[in-house]
Amino acid sequence: MDATILLVEDDPSIREVTAIGLRNAGFTVEAADDGRAGLDRFGAGGIDLVLLDVMLPRMDGLEVAREIRRTSTVPIVMLTARADTIDVVVGLEAGADDYVRKPFEVPELVARVRAALRRGSGGPGEAAVDSTPLRLGPLLIDLQGRSVKRDGSDEEIQLTRTEFDLLVDLARHPGQVLGRDVLLDRIWGYDYLGDSRLVDVAIGRLRAKIETDPSAPELILTVRGAGYKAAR
Amino acid sequence: MRWPRGVRARLAGALVLLVAATSIVLGVGATAFVDARLHQQALSDAAAQATFDLTVTVPGRQLPDEPTIDDVIRSGLTDTFRRRNVESLIDLGAGETVKSSDALSDLLQRLPPDVPARVGRGELAYAWLDVGGAPSLVVGGLAPSGDIAVYFVRDVAEISQAVGQLRIVMLAGAAVLILVALITARTLARGILAPIEEAGRTAERIERGDLLARVPVTSHDEFGTWADRFNRMTDTLAESIRRLEVAQHQNRRFVADVSHELRTPVTALVAEASILREHLDALPEDTRRTAELVVNDTGRLRDLVEELMELSRFDANAEEVTVEKVDLGKLIETVRAARSPKATFQAPAKPVVIDADPRRLERIIANFLDNAHEHADDKDVQIEVDPNPEDEIVIAVTDRGPGVPEDRLEMIFDRFTKVDPSRSGGSSGLGLAIAAEHAALMGGYLQAMNRDGGGLRLELILPKDVARSLPSGDAAAT
Repeated sequence: MDATILLVEDDPSIREVTAIGLRNAGFTVEAADDGRAGLDRFGAGGIDLVLLDVMLPRMDGLEVAREIRRTSTVPIVMLTARADTIDVVVGLEAGADDYVRKPFEVPELVARVRAALRRGSGGPGEAAVDSTPLRLGPLLIDLQGRSVKRDGSDEEIQLTRTEFDLLVDLARHPGQVLGRDVLLDRIWGYDYLGDSRLVDVAIGRLRAKIETDPSAPELILTVRGAGYKAAR
Repeated sequence: MRWPRGVRARLAGALVLLVAATSIVLGVGATAFVDARLHQQALSDAAAQATFDLTVTVPGRQLPDEPTIDDVIRSGLTDTFRRRNVESLIDLGAGETVKSSDALSDLLQRLPPDVPARVGRGELAYAWLDVGGAPSLVVGGLAPSGDIAVYFVRDVAEISQAVGQLRIVMLAGAAVLILVALITARTLARGILAPIEEAGRTAERIERGDLLARVPVTSHDEFGTWADRFNRMTDTLAESIRRLEVAQHQNRRFVADVSHELRTPVTALVAEASILREHLDALPEDTRRTAELVVNDTGRLRDLVEELMELSRFDANAEEVTVEKVDLGKLIETVRAARSPKATFQAPAKPVVIDADPRRLERIIANFLDNAHEHADDKDVQIEVDPNPEDEIVIAVTDRGPGVPEDRLEMIFDRFTKVDPSRSGGSSGLGLAIAAEHAALMGGYLQAMNRDGGGLRLELILPKDVARSLPSGDAAAT
């Protein structure tokens, strides 16, 4: 796997050891020590995944994530100091696909990075890419071209890979309730108890893009206490 | 608040007693005095009238010497007296009498014997007698001729009537006075007790933690002095508490800052150690062990810093509870499998679904399991949950370790408590303290007890009102 990872982290020790760990795992690492430098480096292109510290000098990680999301659907993994704060939700809402809690062990980080990269490369558990497009209400999902269009519009709806995989997984099983833990396993690759907020925030972001009224969703429905399902 | 009622009752009792005693003494005295005066008055009136009648009226009739009954009747003396409302009996001696009324027939026999005797000696004599059913005054005297004695009988019922009326008036007055005494007692008591009750309320507010509460100083009497002293005591107390709070706050702030500052190097260390661990085999024999220790101790350091930070967040009240529906059996099984696969857990047949914060539940159960791991070597560790919770939900973790000395059971939820330092392994002694904080946030508490046959039982008790069991079915798949 020869993916290039942009690592934005201000502490030199953490930056260095993380870079070593990622390189050991076979990735190419580009490092930046503040938000502004990170964004500049991203603009230069060739980045497959961004690893972003939340607390950064000059421009904080959340802002960097928002900036990147304006132009790109590249996977973003946040490095966050605490798992149980609003930081996580804000980070996910800013466009991050996943987060890794500090302190982290390098193998754990590498696993998250791999899972994030795997998304969008055919989808987890999907051996062959179907050539017939999927349909969910007015949405036409082209699995090969990884694009989503609304009926009567030529404009492509911009989804991140996580959001796209989530949409496909739900649309493939219309009417069937998918629990958060199931989605965490299938989309995020968590085979242990993951953070259900990952699912909730990603669903929220997805709804904002595909629903006519995101506060009264018609395509992706919440099943209280159970999970989510696509409308039939 | 028992004794204010006492003060009211005592004050009222004392005043009523005083008034009643005064009324009785005054009433009895006044009645007796008036009674005596009225009798004396009646007597002197009667005596004066009798003297007049004996010296003027009787001789004026010019009775013959040795008059006969007929003479006396003819003289009309008794009728004359009668017109003045005075009955009379004229004694002619030798048992012959003339009387104005039949009621007087046995008068001479009923008079005390000294009265006719003194009359016989020419003196005026009197007696108080019941005549014909009426209290009467009898005054007797000898006519100047010396051959007839006249007894005048006056009805004095009006005296006892007057005294009776006086008595009623006195009783009514006493009743009014007692009423006044009661009202006075009430008013006085209220005046005395109002500031005491106000002070009581203030003390209650202080007890509840309102250190700004003060007793109003409204008077310059003993109570005012007391209130002033009380307030000064409260000032001192509040100041001490404030100083302690500041110190505690600084202390906690320091711990929070230290653990926060430690976080960045610990993050680097943990990442570095995780790489080192992957390559332990590549190290030469003599450095490998050292590297292993570095990896393990980094883990301990990480746990300690994380736990300190967690406690700091509790101290800063920065924690919020997120309540959702939790299937207890499922959650416990997940934690067991992840943390302590050797522990046994029998999930309830019917899912127990409660409203709780799943992250905190996980943390508490995980810390219980860690404790069993460290102190009981995972010996016979069991997780129990009450399948039919009633008022509260009890989740228990039991082990067959050494247990805890009874006198230290209370302390095991305190920070940095290590019952047996030699056995605590890498533990910081913060795990159960953290669990206790999580439990408190959810309105519950922890309890520890030694088991029969050895070992420790740790319990998490959650109140029922944030947790209710739902029928199985739609609730299970959370």
